[in-house]
Amino acid sequence: MRHDSRRMKRMARNHKKTPGMNLTSLMDVFTILVFFLLTNSASDEALQNPKVITLPASVVETKPKETVVILVTPENILIQGKVVADTPDVVNRQANIIEEIKNELELQRSRTLVTDEEELPEVNILADRRAQFSLLKKIMSSCTSAGYAKISLAVIQKSSQGQ
Amino acid sequence: MRRRPGRSKEAPELDITAFLNLMVVLVPFLLVSAVFSRITILELNLQGGAPSEADDKPQMNIEVIIRQGSIELRGNQKVIAKMNKIDNKNYVEGLVQEPTKPINEKQIYDLPALSKHLLKIKASYPDKLDALILLEPDIEYRNLVGVMDAVRGAEIKKAAEDGGEPQTERKVLFPDISIGDAP
Repeated sequence: MRHDSRRMKRMARNHKKTPGMNLTSLMDVFTILVFFLLTNSASDEALQNPKVITLPASVVETKPKETVVILVTPENILIQGKVVADTPDVVNRQANIIEEIKNELELQRSRTLVTDEEELPEVNILADRRAQFSLLKKIMSSCTSAGYAKISLAVIQKSSQGQ
Repeated sequence: MRRRPGRSKEAPELDITAFLNLMVVLVPFLLVSAVFSRITILELNLQGGAPSEADDKPQMNIEVIIRQGSIELRGNQKVIAKMNKIDNKNYVEGLVQEPTKPINEKQIYDLPALSKHLLKIKASYPDKLDALILLEPDIEYRNLVGVMDAVRGAEIKKAAEDGGEPQTERKVLFPDISIGDAP
């Protein structure tokens, strides 16, 4: 017994210099995590997810392009980040075409450089999932009357199984 | 691995401190900039021009009408099917609605039945690519997106040949969607 304990003391003294933590599994986790995060980093996103609204979910995989963005929140309608109209006011209106939206879109169109005559102007609509179709229809008709014939609806991508 | 003769058996210890430091910095940085919900877009075909009427093939106008309590499927002005809302299996009584969570509804639209009917139409008109969705004014946007998903494509479950997990395959149905008012 005494012999053993002395040997253990010696061993402990000799091995004190290198505690030698085993970091292999930690390294594995980090390496996997880094690659996973690198693949879905947000550097090349054309559209940022707005916090004030919840977009509906869809299975489409088309990537958004850099276009004019219309954001429809329960309170306001924003074009390129600028408030143009109040949503409740627009909902109550009888007219199908909202003049404020149309004017702002025409302004946006005159500002952008036309590089290709063939290319139709595009617009992206980000609307809350609870927005009513009558509101959406007014916005869409305003877009088309301002010359924006290509309209895209922004959605959150979901996995195909989750119906 | 080959080992040089005369070497001690103990593996030489790697100094990974620098690498570890890099990882510790990189992981929080990437975590902050990571996107877990990716935004995609649904393209609409609003003024796709008049359809070519001079086609020899039998024409079929597909109309999906979303009403408050049902979905109606029409082909060439005739009602093919009418699907009432079905009970939601995931409905929880008295759940407080959180803004970003899925909406807790008692009844939902019967999209699987719609898919089935559309698949049948697609089988008889394989070249058909466009469809019209008509909505009542107070239908919510998310229902439009849900129906658009069902009209654009359907998922077919296929039993795997080796008897394993059934595989799902996405079949494109009618991706050119126009939108209008319900009659």
